[in-house]
Amino acid sequence: MSDKLVLRARDFWASLVLIALSLFFLFKTTDIPFFVSDNESVRGGDWYNSAALVPYGLFGALLLLSFALLFISIRDGGAKYALASKGLNVNRFEALRLISLSSMLFFYIFALVPRVDFTIASALLFCALIYGFHRSTPIRSIIAALFVAAAGAYALLVHFPRKEWGKPHDDDYVTLLFWAVSCVCLLITAIRERKKIKSTLILIILSMSVPLLLVCSMAFGFRQNVPNRGGLFFSYIEYFYYVNLVPLWRA
Amino acid sequence: MEFLSTQLTGFLEALVYLASDPVTYAYISVSVFLGIVFGALPGLTATLAVTILTGFFSNKFPLEQSMIALIGAYVGAIYGGSYPAILLNIPGTAASAATAMDGHPLAKSGRGGEALGLTTTASFIGTLIGTVFLLAFVGLLLLVSKNIASPEKAMLALFGVLLSGTLMSPDLPLKGWISGLIGLAMAMVGMDPILSEDRYTFDWSYLLSGFQVVPVLMGAFAIPQILDGMRSNLSKQKPLPVGRIIPRMGALFSRMGLIARSGVIGTGVGALPGVGEDVAGWVSYGVGKSISKDGDQFGKGSLNGLVCAEAANNAAIGGALIPLLVLGIPGSPPAAALLGALKVNNVIPGPTIDPSFVLHVVAILVLASFTMVLMGLFTARIFILVLQIPQTVFLPIVLILTTIGSFSVGGGINDLYLMLGVGLVVTVMNTMQYPVAPLVIGVILGGLFDETFRRSLFLADGDLSVFVSRPGAAILLTLNVLLILSQTPLTSFIRQKIRLT
Repeated sequence: MSDKLVLRARDFWASLVLIALSLFFLFKTTDIPFFVSDNESVRGGDWYNSAALVPYGLFGALLLLSFALLFISIRDGGAKYALASKGLNVNRFEALRLISLSSMLFFYIFALVPRVDFTIASALLFCALIYGFHRSTPIRSIIAALFVAAAGAYALLVHFPRKEWGKPHDDDYVTLLFWAVSCVCLLITAIRERKKIKSTLILIILSMSVPLLLVCSMAFGFRQNVPNRGGLFFSYIEYFYYVNLVPLWRA
Repeated sequence: MEFLSTQLTGFLEALVYLASDPVTYAYISVSVFLGIVFGALPGLTATLAVTILTGFFSNKFPLEQSMIALIGAYVGAIYGGSYPAILLNIPGTAASAATAMDGHPLAKSGRGGEALGLTTTASFIGTLIGTVFLLAFVGLLLLVSKNIASPEKAMLALFGVLLSGTLMSPDLPLKGWISGLIGLAMAMVGMDPILSEDRYTFDWSYLLSGFQVVPVLMGAFAIPQILDGMRSNLSKQKPLPVGRIIPRMGALFSRMGLIARSGVIGTGVGALPGVGEDVAGWVSYGVGKSISKDGDQFGKGSLNGLVCAEAANNAAIGGALIPLLVLGIPGSPPAAALLGALKVNNVIPGPTIDPSFVLHVVAILVLASFTMVLMGLFTARIFILVLQIPQTVFLPIVLILTTIGSFSVGGGINDLYLMLGVGLVVTVMNTMQYPVAPLVIGVILGGLFDETFRRSLFLADGDLSVFVSRPGAAILLTLNVLLILSQTPLTSFIRQKIRLT
């Protein structure tokens, strides 16, 4: 099957999704007053000043273009292949790696970053990504994703409510444990593949030092907001910085 | 004449002011260095360099220092892309794709150092040419732009999205337009700018202020790059050996005309809304190939071909800043990231922009280009070493940088959710060959389009002829219509008929 045909098969499904989305948002646009606006009991406005005018135009145009895309995909034979369930031409291993990677990102951003110390969460992600994706096999990608998913699932399930996010919890230790396990896996792989142990050790040190350096420079150098100030490492660092270091140079 | 001398005096004052501050040197050296490293690492782009630094500098630093860091990284990254293009045959950024055509054959024949040296000087002169045009045109256009009112702005914003959608689409132009429309639609989320009606917020208070630009940029440019880079699992490549890097003066002076022409082409293409440095490089390369005496040697290791591409892509930086500063419409994806940084710093580019700010930007560009040429000629071997770092090692670091950068801008964890959502959607769009630049430009220009379009109608009491009665708006409307018509099957059929007859 040619690349163009695969593309047109994907266009077929994409156009259907786009048509559905355009129709949904056109329907949602009806919530916005069009001919008359009634805002905070103040009546006013005309169709040409309505907040719905441009969205109607945009989603209407998107709907038209989606139909045009659907027409092109059917004309070029994409629909036939798409419906024959072989049109998307998805490589199983590629899909597996993408799913592993996406799930790691999902658990890192949705579960770990809000709840776990940023340095520990990022160190785990760093080691897991290198273990799972640096000249690796699909099995290693899945194991790496499981490390992050397990730590993330624990943090998510045990400390789900938002009010618990900033407090120090055992999820920091659980994530630290998974980081240690992923480091051991990296070392075992290096020994088995007769790679240089020194470079693996450097990577392990980098996995902790890079996020630590970043979070400290962001918080104290760039004076920006950082995630989870109550985390295991960062709470100590922040305390040390304001109680011991700042008075030193102020004096 | 008086205008030019005023501009020149203002520019020199800004240059002296910046040059006399030691902090400038620290910022510019670090940012240009980081920019070159970002450009040199395949998979990282100039847009990403500017976006990540925006997260770090955002609104807690003086605007001038932020601009030094961001423009330094922009200039460095566009140039840095030439290292892997020449030594590995992998363009570090899209802007260096044309550079690889002649750069790599030169490196394979043992002339890698010569190619790098000439690339560095061509990029330097190219950036300066773009800067000269920026200095001359921004001032002039700012005078004219006082006459640019809402109808023209609305049509120009639409033109930016459509043009970028047409030119940046690797498959059908239709997909570029769809991408642009999705971007414009994303900009509709939140309180509308005129009546404060809430739109598509689904009762989530975070959405009331709309999609923030920095997380959208990070999601659109960083997450797909990280996902693709980690999946591709490229094996480490050893760069080809290089010899002497400092170019011979004779080789450089004999190509000054070529560099000047490429610089002008690059600036012109860069000034088109939404069209980036990569298009500038290819257009200049194409022109060079068709009119140079040794055009048949292009693609086989021609120094002239190399110079055409490199001078143009760096000159496009100055060009891309012209519409950005005068109209608030970015000329390229990295300029869109720069616009995001300006918005975070509450600077509204357009006819009301402070002219002294523009002169400072010009002075920063000049300083950045000098820093770039010095680093390129004397510390090139460090950047060659950088090429040996595998993607799977530096991309996790980029992911951590992106996460903390996106979190810090203001929206906290919600910005991270937005970044991830946009990132996954753009990854899917990339696999279907939808260009991402129109989407980002749509998100950035959506608010402007909505506000100016409705204001135009409001001032004209709903009379749609406001878009044809004003000459500027009428010209832009015609361009929009022609652009759409040029891509319809009927036009291609007519074009084919004419060609046959």
